[in-house]
Amino acid sequence: MENLEYERLAWAVLFGHIAIIVVGGFMTVLSQSLVRALVGLIMTLLGVAGLFFLMAAPFIALMQILIYVGAVSVLIFFAIMLTSAWPGGDESGKISFRRIIFAGLAAVSPAIFLGMAAIHTAPPSFLVPHETEVSTLGRFFLEDFILPFELISLLLTVAMAGAVVLAFEMRRKK
Amino acid sequence: MSVMTIYHLVAIFLLCIGIFGIAYRRTLIGTVLGIELILNGAGLSIMASAQLTPAPDELGQVGTLLVMGIAAAEATLLLAIFLVVSRRFKNVDAGKLITMRG
Repeated sequence: MENLEYERLAWAVLFGHIAIIVVGGFMTVLSQSLVRALVGLIMTLLGVAGLFFLMAAPFIALMQILIYVGAVSVLIFFAIMLTSAWPGGDESGKISFRRIIFAGLAAVSPAIFLGMAAIHTAPPSFLVPHETEVSTLGRFFLEDFILPFELISLLLTVAMAGAVVLAFEMRRKK
Repeated sequence: MSVMTIYHLVAIFLLCIGIFGIAYRRTLIGTVLGIELILNGAGLSIMASAQLTPAPDELGQVGTLLVMGIAAAEATLLLAIFLVVSRRFKNVDAGKLITMRG
């Protein structure tokens, strides 16, 4: 009896977060002001973090909030401000009907194939995932997955260096 | 329909709305918002595939973390590129950037 109540609660949480994701996604692509679009993106990211919590991966969910909501969103906000893509500025003009049709087609065509594949070829899945300890995750990173781990560190370093070089070149030209 | 399929359908929704955003938005920054949506959908799909099946759980969590790292690196570089582009072209409208020499 108690289990059934928990299950109902889990379904409610699942569909609540899916609703947050859907609303945020539409806000991200359709709103005219880029700052509002960014708020929609943050909404979607928080919804996905909630789904990670529901899948018993709290560490990844917190990382999602820390990296995406904390760092990447602020970075995009800086990009909006620094490139003077002011709110209601660049995106506010009229968008041609052809463009909407083509964008819709580009979005719907993978949806049909991937959706059919996901529905028809899905293996049976657990209803209740079990949690992995963070220490196990760390050991997995440093023993089995050491090469990708080092490569992602290298990638981040190169990206930071590249960003600094680009910004300095801009200052010298000025 | 299993629970994993629901998560996968959400991930496909994120992919599709991201593609729509990339095609529909006019500024480069709007495009980046679409790319972030797509990457997040990829992370969600990887995580669901590992957590809800007999596959090792660590694999999915590590894969999602790597996707997040790639997204962070990409966002950093794109910010720097947009700064240079906006300084040279005075806007970041994707339709107006037609020369490669600034």
